[in-house]
This record gives sequence, C-alpha cells and structure tokens, in this order.
Amino acid sequence: MSNENLKNFEPKDIQRGIWNQETVSEIEYKARYGKHRIRGCGATRYMPTFDDIMILPSQLSRMSIDTYREPCETRVVLGKRFATKPLVIETPVMIAGMSYGALSKEAKIALAKATALTGTVISNGEGGLLPEERDYSYRQSIQVLPSRFGFSKRNIEAADMLEFLVGIGAKPGLSGHLMGNKISEEIAKLRQLPTGIDLHSHPRHGDAFGADDMVVKMEQLRSLTKGEVPIFIKIAAGRVKEDVKIAVKIGVDGIIIDGAQGGTGAAPVMASNHLGIPTMPALVQAVKALEEMGLKDDVSIIVSGGIKDGADIAKALAIGANAVAIGTGAMVAMGCKVCLKCHNGVCGFGIGTQDPDYRKKLDIDEAAERVANYIRAITNEAVLLAKAAGKSRLKNLEREDLRTLTLEACAMTGIPLVGSDYVFGQRFGFGE
Amino acid sequence: MEYLDALKIKSTQINNMIEEKLIKDKELIIQNPHSMHNIATGLAIDGKVTIKGSTGFYTGGFLEGASVIVEGNAGWYAGDNMMDGELIITKNAGCNAGTYLYGGTIVIRGSAGSRVGYGMKGGTIIVCGSAGRWAGQMTLGGKLILLGKVGKQLGESMYKGVIYIQDEEAKNNLGGNVFIDKITPTEVDELNTLFKKYDIDAKGENFVAIRPMTTGRHTYVLFNPDLTPEKARKELGKNPKKLEKGVAYE
Ligand SMILES: Cc1cc2nc3c(=O)[nH]c(=O)nc-3n(C[C@H](O)[C@H](O)[C@H](O)COP(=O)(O)O)c2cc1C
Repeated sequence: MSNENLKNFEPKDIQRGIWNQETVSEIEYKARYGKHRIRGCGATRYMPTFDDIMILPSQLSRMSIDTYREPCETRVVLGKRFATKPLVIETPVMIAGMSYGALSKEAKIALAKATALTGTVISNGEGGLLPEERDYSYRQSIQVLPSRFGFSKRNIEAADMLEFLVGIGAKPGLSGHLMGNKISEEIAKLRQLPTGIDLHSHPRHGDAFGADDMVVKMEQLRSLTKGEVPIFIKIAAGRVKEDVKIAVKIGVDGIIIDGAQGGTGAAPVMASNHLGIPTMPALVQAVKALEEMGLKDDVSIIVSGGIKDGADIAKALAIGANAVAIGTGAMVAMGCKVCLKCHNGVCGFGIGTQDPDYRKKLDIDEAAERVANYIRAITNEAVLLAKAAGKSRLKNLEREDLRTLTLEACAMTGIPLVGSDYVFGQRFGFGE
Repeated sequence: MEYLDALKIKSTQINNMIEEKLIKDKELIIQNPHSMHNIATGLAIDGKVTIKGSTGFYTGGFLEGASVIVEGNAGWYAGDNMMDGELIITKNAGCNAGTYLYGGTIVIRGSAGSRVGYGMKGGTIIVCGSAGRWAGQMTLGGKLILLGKVGKQLGESMYKGVIYIQDEEAKNNLGGNVFIDKITPTEVDELNTLFKKYDIDAKGENFVAIRPMTTGRHTYVLFNPDLTPEKARKELGKNPKKLEKGVAYE
C-alpha cells in the first residue's frame, strides 16, 4: 500500500482507555497553569444512579390506581420534629440553593416565580437574599453558610425554613467559589466583596467549630426563630451514617443530603469527581441511620444530586426520602445545556452569568413557566409510577416496591436483585 | 432596676425573661449566670443588661440594640452575628469573639482567643489585651482594634475592613493578602473617640492599619504546596535514612 493509503487507516478516532479527551484536557490545563482546574457543573465521571433500580408495578398482588382519573396526594410536610410551623409544600420537589452570583438575577427570579406556580420552596444559596426572590417565592428557605455573605437577622426573619450548610456534593469539605468575572458591582455590594477578585469563601462556620458547639448554636437559632421555623442541615454525602446521627443529636428537624454528582456553579474538578459518595447509596445510609435511631418518622430527609425525572423522585421517596431537591434540572429547564463553563460567567442563555448583555437573553416569565412545567411534569411522572405501583399517595411508595438491576446497586441499597429475592450485602429491611 | 437570678433558669427560657424585665425597666442585673450559653440572644430592646459573672457560648449573639455587660469572662463566639448595640466583656473572651459581626460594638477588656472577628462585616471590636492567631480572618468590613500582642496569620485573606494594631512584632505575623499601612488622621480621631467613650488608655496615633490587598483579580495568594527540591536536597543530603526518621516532615 502507498503511504497515502496507510494514512487513511491511522487510528485517529480511537481512544486508549483512560487517556481520553477529558484526561488530556485536564493534563493540558495543569501543564499550562500549574494548579488545579476549577469549572462549573460538577462531576463528569460515571456514578451509580437511581436508574439502576426498577419499580414493581401492581398486578394481581395489588390493585393499581387509575393514572388518569383517580387522585394521588403529592403534598409533603417537612421538618415537623421540633418546629411548630413545619414546611408544607405541594410537591416533594424543592429548588436547591443556587447562589445569586452563580446564577443571574433573572434566573433567580424565574426560579422563585416557578415555586409560586407549583407551590414549593426555593433556597436562596450563598450570595444573600434577593428581595425579588423573597417576594416571588412560594416558600423561602434561607441558607446559613460559613461565609454569611449578605446574611443578617433579617434573613432569618424571612425564612420559612433554615438550612445550616455544611457542604455540597460537588465540593464537599470546600467552600464557595465565585470567579472574578461573575463578581459584578451588584454582587460585590450584596456580598460586601471587592470587585476583581476570585472568591474562595469561608471554609468553616466561624460560629460553630464542631458538632458540640452546633448543639448550642441550634438552641440559639431556635430562640431566634421562636421555635417555629424548621431547621435543616445540608451535608454532602460522605460518612452519611455518622453525620446523620450527629445532625440528629445537634437537634435538626431535617437533613438535606447532597450526593457526589450534585451540581455547582464552580468547583475544583478533583473535588467534584473524587470527593463524597453518590446520591443513591447516601440516601440508603441516611435512612438506615434514622431507622436505627427510631426517628425515621420525625426527621425529614431531602435528597439531591442528579435528580432529573419522576422516576428518580419515586425511587428516592420509596427508599425513604421525604422530598428531593433539584439544581441542574431546574437550570436545564430554563435553557442551560450543561456546558461545564458556568464558572467563567459567559452563559449565552443568561443563566450562569452576571454580564448585562447575556442576562437579557433570559425571559424571566418564560423561564419561570418552563421550570414550573418541568416540576409539574416530573411530579406527574412520579405520581404515574406510584399509581401503577398501587399507591394513592406519593409518600406511600416503599422499599418493597423496588428491585435493583445491577449487582452493584443491589449491594449498595440492600434491595433485592431483579429476578431473585436475593440481596448481596446488607439486607435493607428484606428479611434476614 | 430589675433583677434576674439565673441559677435555676434554663438557657432556653432566659431570653424571654430578659425581654420581659427590660420592658418593665431599662436596667437589668443578672445574677448567677453560671457560664450559661446563649444569654441575651437576639435581644432587640433598648436597655442595659449587666451580667454578674462569666458566661458560656454565644453571649449576645444576634444582639440588636441593647447594651450587655459581662462582668467576667465570656465563652466562645461572644457577640456572634451581632446586629447593633454593645457587648462589653470585662475580662477575657474565648475564641471567635465577634464572629460575623454585622454592626454594633464589642469591647473585650481582657484578651481574646483565636479568630476574633472572623468574617466580620461591620461594627467595631476592641480587644484591650492580646488577641490569638488568625484575628480578623476573612473580614468583609468593620473595624478590629487590637491593643495588645497579636498572634499569627493576622488578617488572613481580609476582603474589606481594617485592623488597627500597635504590636511592633505584628509585621512578622501577618496573614496572606494583607499589608501594613499608615493610619489616616480621620482614623486616629475615630480611634481616640472610641477610646474616650469606653475609657480605654490608648492613643490612636500609636496604631498602624492592616488593610486587604485587593488589587487585580489574580493577586490573591492562596495556599499552595511548597515544592522545594533544592532545600530538601540540602537538608537530606545523600542519606535517605533521614527521611525514615521523619526529618523531612519536621
Ligand atoms: C449554579 C449552582 C450554584 C449552586 N450554589 C449553591 C449554593 O450557593 N449553596 C448550596 O448549598 N448549594 C449550591 N449549589 C448546589 C445545589 O444546591 C444542589 O445541592 C445541587 O445542585 C443538587 O444537584 P443537582 O444539580 O444534580 O440537582 C449550586 C448548584 C449549582 C448548579
């Protein structure tokens, strides 16, 4: 063969295992800058998900509920352990805390409006509370973060729910990152920051160094909220069993667990891809921990990290969550294409940007309607699955309605493998 | 003058009682605080509360308006998230005093533990004695005035705000991303006014200011592992056995 011909047979489209485009890109970056890469969106690697689970339909052993005609309740009550005014939302789908800073004002307002259209709760995220968000939201959750940007007693007074933030799945053990090109004058003002810096925010709660102190802190927060507002703690999934038990001791009403595949506006690649454990096993461990303590019915669990459709919701609820939180999903509903460039503030959809021109690209009301539609649709999907499994309430879904598709998921969840009654590993409530 | 004996009261009850008493009379004395946590949390009524003894954690947290005097020591996190008003501690304060301070004034007549003024955003903290390490870490605003000796990492990564010190050795103890600057005449006046108000024996003229370095977006110096092969080679020589004894790790 001539040289010309040989060229056509060179293996140019073949990747050698781990030396794929992503690996090469990562090395190129490090070789150039001598530091770790920070980027948007979260983990890129494969992790086990709720898709490895199937829901058992009702047939002869149970009756199904009519998908299109019979009712099925979706309302949930969250944080009723101690709070005298627990949070009541119409769908078990919360909008996760995404900071004003990571997101544009328009995106924040659209998300808040979407909660009003669907009767759910939105969390403010790191950058303080936008007055518009508070005004438009159906229920407002307020994060108490280690940085306390734009935080004061006024924020606590505006809260329908408090979230004491310890970590998020995309960068557990780290703090907020907001790169300089997203720190506009307005963001800087709200956060009391100088413009023109790359922000790596406060790593620890300056007023609670350690769990023992948090017990006392909790008493303080209860006193400030007159015991009315449910207080959650948000943790990234790591040593979930221990963390959940400690959180319960601290005295929370509920726990938000963010799995390792959770989204972010900016995080070191290493943190997203290698810190923490995935959402599904994290939820299993949280539920187990509460069951061991005999407090499953008292302490609410909200789970997040990769929740994308009604099946995820139905399965999370069946395993034992009381609600889910969505971040990336809500952004995608607004038009986000998950391009991983959230950190640099150049977002042609006007979502992850502070640039005045880009921001104009997001039509607030249209985006709000899309997010609301998305929430309605995934709630409906969850209901469809629940009814097919014979439930007239979403929350009646239970572990027994599930079977796992893979050995991996089976061992992780303690739910029997399809086609067998066998559980490889710890049996999660399935006989002995 | 109203009185409250805290001996048999729980910390979950005391704040309502303080409020009720302050409605009756603008002055209240609390006896037997027995290092109770969360005294005067979020108190939003004008008045003067004198605590006769030492307090536990979070004294005057989220305080808003009242003047609280601790005649003794205060535990960790005194005046955390304070909004307005005054917190005066006649002896020492534990770590993280005035953390996330938003407004108002904290005066610690003795010394303060580490991280006084962590992430503070406004208001004023005066420490008459010495202050532990990482004082004023990542502040976002306000004034931190340290009369005595200061520990290491002073003002680490301040974003905004200012720290005034007179400790000559502080230049060896500065945290990253801050610099020592001259104090302006207006600032001297401000300090002297405060010293006079709180009867503190100090002169504004003797202070220097620590300010954040916020020039240009990539100038922030954050931790980076120090790879110093030359140094290591010198220290270790050709004898790798030294490594086993942990010399390289100090
Ligand atoms: C753009 C963006 C900004 C975020 N900002 C915050 C934040 O300020 N505080 C926080 O607790 N979590 C933050 N998160 C994490 C979300 O609250 C949530 O845990 C995560 O998005 C859930 O995973 P999902 O995106 O797969 O649904 C952010 C996520 C995104 C995508």
